[in-house]
Amino acid sequence: MLELNNQYTVMKRQVHAEVLKAFFAGTLEQEVDALPIKIIPKARISNRCCIYKERAMVRYRIMALMGINIETEDDELRSLSSYVREVMEEDKPVAPILTTISTACSSCPPDRYLISEACRGCFARPCLANCPKDCITFTNGQAHIDESRCIRCGKCKEVCPFHAVVHIPVPCEEACPVNAVRKNEEGYVEIDYQKCISCGRCAMSCPFGAIVERSGVMPVVKMLKAGQHVTALIAPAIEGQFPGTLAQIKQALLATGFSSVMEVSQGAETTSLHEAHELSERKAEGKGYMTTSCCPAYMELVDKHLPFLAERRSSALSPMGYAALEAKKAHPETKTVFIGPCLAKRVEAVRLKTIDGVLTFSELASLFIAKGVDVREMEMADLGVTDSFEDCREFALSGGVASCVLSRYAKADEVVVLPVNGIDKKMFRTMKIWDKRQPEANLIEVMCCDGGCINGPGVVVKPSVALKLRGGNKAAAPVKAMRAIVGARE
Amino acid sequence: MGKKERISVKICVGTACFVQGGADLLLYNEFLDPVVLGGCDIEGVSCLGGCKDPNAKDRPPYVQIDGVIHGDMTQEKLCKLLSEAVHA
Repeated sequence: MLELNNQYTVMKRQVHAEVLKAFFAGTLEQEVDALPIKIIPKARISNRCCIYKERAMVRYRIMALMGINIETEDDELRSLSSYVREVMEEDKPVAPILTTISTACSSCPPDRYLISEACRGCFARPCLANCPKDCITFTNGQAHIDESRCIRCGKCKEVCPFHAVVHIPVPCEEACPVNAVRKNEEGYVEIDYQKCISCGRCAMSCPFGAIVERSGVMPVVKMLKAGQHVTALIAPAIEGQFPGTLAQIKQALLATGFSSVMEVSQGAETTSLHEAHELSERKAEGKGYMTTSCCPAYMELVDKHLPFLAERRSSALSPMGYAALEAKKAHPETKTVFIGPCLAKRVEAVRLKTIDGVLTFSELASLFIAKGVDVREMEMADLGVTDSFEDCREFALSGGVASCVLSRYAKADEVVVLPVNGIDKKMFRTMKIWDKRQPEANLIEVMCCDGGCINGPGVVVKPSVALKLRGGNKAAAPVKAMRAIVGARE
Repeated sequence: MGKKERISVKICVGTACFVQGGADLLLYNEFLDPVVLGGCDIEGVSCLGGCKDPNAKDRPPYVQIDGVIHGDMTQEKLCKLLSEAVHA
């Protein structure tokens, strides 16, 4: 997976902030066609072949931000302003969440193993001895791989004492757990939406930014601008994504124009209670293991690839689902906007029908920038009474959901928990086996992203930073104060 | 060698800086050399105003080192600037 801090992320956020700034200034339609030139000025040193290609990419990113399916809208002569007009009039359909920019795709060659110059042509030659297909030959004292016979098993890489063998993957294909990402005949990336579970791993891994999410930001900013009553449902992972405490983040959302803010952790409490109850029922009836159901990419995975797990899933709604019901109960006319790190939540939102919009943290960050909202300068908003669901903020971390369920379960010490911490190709294979051989656990907590939601495709900061800023609001306080606390402890 | 003044380092954690990579600079305990770390007073501060200057040549994230504002900051650049400042 690509390190989060990279030039592509920086570019994407800049594009998003500029578009949203123009939107709130009411000048988006007039300005939008000039934005690629403003963002990629003449003097810029290009990372792609030339500034003109970079500008074309910015154009596509603006289209993706407006929720347009780039695969079907390939009229390059059409102006962005005409798209803006269209998007202002009606919201684009949500699915599919991802779209590809074929001109951004570098058509990476198929994955392969390569023996580099670090090869010393040693006497033992473990590569030669361990290759199952006899495809290693030695010329000029160095090993070479015969591409036509290599089956990409990686044995040579494992055994080389000089680490001279490198694996050159196709990042998007390698990242996809369900083999939904493939190259078409022209060599460009294509997503098989029948297989895709909207986890977003491919979009996070492509170093060329050729796989993008079709954003849901426009419907939300339209609601805000129209002055509708909008409730922000903030995912448990939000703490640590911005330089401030949870109370400051809430205040920042209110300053951005949201009418009220509700922690999804509140809904997570209901999910935990429901799952604890269900678990005890299943145990009493000897029905075997149960999995959690809050990860929407996992839900998609079961629906599309592992149907035998359907009856194993808890019947509880996700925390988002319960929180939306609460929000609609409190304000029947309100529009509910889920703000989280997740792309697949948008698929769930379509299914639930109680969610009117979904934003990622990254999009929220651009919204803050566009609105000139500085989280750190905010007063502390009143979070209300949070005692009963405070522990549910841990839903954002691997292991957190299970621990919340267990703390609401009478005989927690009798429960064997199996956490699935990230679904990659290997984990997917393991899960397939569960059909034949039941896992030895009562409760399986499934999170599609490694480490949990704080490592989702829509986060602002990497997990190590988020973890530092999370928890009890101490670390999120200004750094100076934080050091005073640490100093006092030592 | 006489006792040197400690170097004052202010990392901007305004939203724009934080979002565009400034957050990673807060991991300074992990990426800075302990010797350099010992010679610096590092703190996160409110917006330094760098992002609001329409004529600015550089971009967020910004860090102020002994009163001078540096833009386009990365972990590597901060390492370099601070070790130069400390060993000067």
